Amino acid sequence: MELGGKTELTHEIAELAQEIERLRAELARSEREAADNALQLERYAADLRETFKEERARSQELTRSYMATVRALSNAVEARDAYTGKHAERVAAYGIEVARALGVARPDAPEIEFGFLLHDIGKVAIPDAILYKPGALTREERELMARHPTIGADIIRGIEFLQGAAKVVRSHHERWDGTGYPDGLRGEEIPIAARVFAVADVFDALTTDRPYRPALTLHEARRMIVLGSGSQFDPSVVRAFNSIDDETFLRITEEIR
Amino acid sequence: MSRAVLVVDDDQFIRKLVATTLEDVSEFDLHEASDGVEALKVAQGTQPAIVFLDVDMPRMDGIDACRRMRADPLTSDATIVMLTAAHGDQTERLAEEAGADLFLTKPFSPLDLLRLVDRLGDGA
Repeated sequence: MELGGKTELTHEIAELAQEIERLRAELARSEREAADNALQLERYAADLRETFKEERARSQELTRSYMATVRALSNAVEARDAYTGKHAERVAAYGIEVARALGVARPDAPEIEFGFLLHDIGKVAIPDAILYKPGALTREERELMARHPTIGADIIRGIEFLQGAAKVVRSHHERWDGTGYPDGLRGEEIPIAARVFAVADVFDALTTDRPYRPALTLHEARRMIVLGSGSQFDPSVVRAFNSIDDETFLRITEEIR
Repeated sequence: MSRAVLVVDDDQFIRKLVATTLEDVSEFDLHEASDGVEALKVAQGTQPAIVFLDVDMPRMDGIDACRRMRADPLTSDATIVMLTAAHGDQTERLAEEAGADLFLTKPFSPLDLLRLVDRLGDGA
């Protein structure tokens, strides 16, 4: 009896030992599997990272291509105009500073810069005889000239990445008091980028030599801009413009000539 | 030409991973099996263009399943891609003898997997 119980116990112990062995093997197997799966996930992560880097590089390349294309277009427009030189490029640089001072979201957004660079693209449709006429324009000539913002917006209408820019092109001759063209927009009806543009455009015109007058000093140009606040210009844009120091403007004037 | 892909692995994690990776990027319908026996059954039903086949599986391993698919006229046209462990030189030789076309070494690159299916899909 005692002996039989002992045998049974030994047997049970052996079975338990076997069971432990089996569980150990199973544990080892699932640990190996978990380790393999972890490696597999790491591989996915590595591929994801590489794909992201490629995607980012491609996107940057695309932005550079857009920028180069827009600059080429802008240069083509300006090449006709002997005395404005790099007007559009300077206006874009001033405008980005003003947009930044104004706290407009992403002041360096290419949409703003593209619009500034292409603002006068509609002038390709204006005959030289009108564009460079020395004296005053007739009423018909003035009307044709006033169509350049709508013509410009039409030219780039089909280009998706220029739809932000198209707003600036169309509205760059609107005035804060509603007396501008082509739509007679008033106040905040005018897209913010176009309101910023208006200040930067006039500022560049004033600080550049023209056949009929020399360039104004920075101080004089600032005063002229302030005079237009509330009539031609958005007062908040003028305030942002005034918060920018002389050095910033001078640096741009020096760099882009 | 069949538009089905069959993923065979006893590890559900791998099946899920492969299926999720291939979901929506190709026109293939995805089917899964967890061992060689089930693989043969599903393959006969779906006649897949591509079979991803794990090697170590219960009931029937990948090598055996590969050989049997090759022998069956219903499944012999499939492109068979063996999922092998990195240390499996011997396995690759056996798989080639069994009629495997390509190898994807575990841990496999999901980009390689996608490119492979893209390439085979274009040819279909």
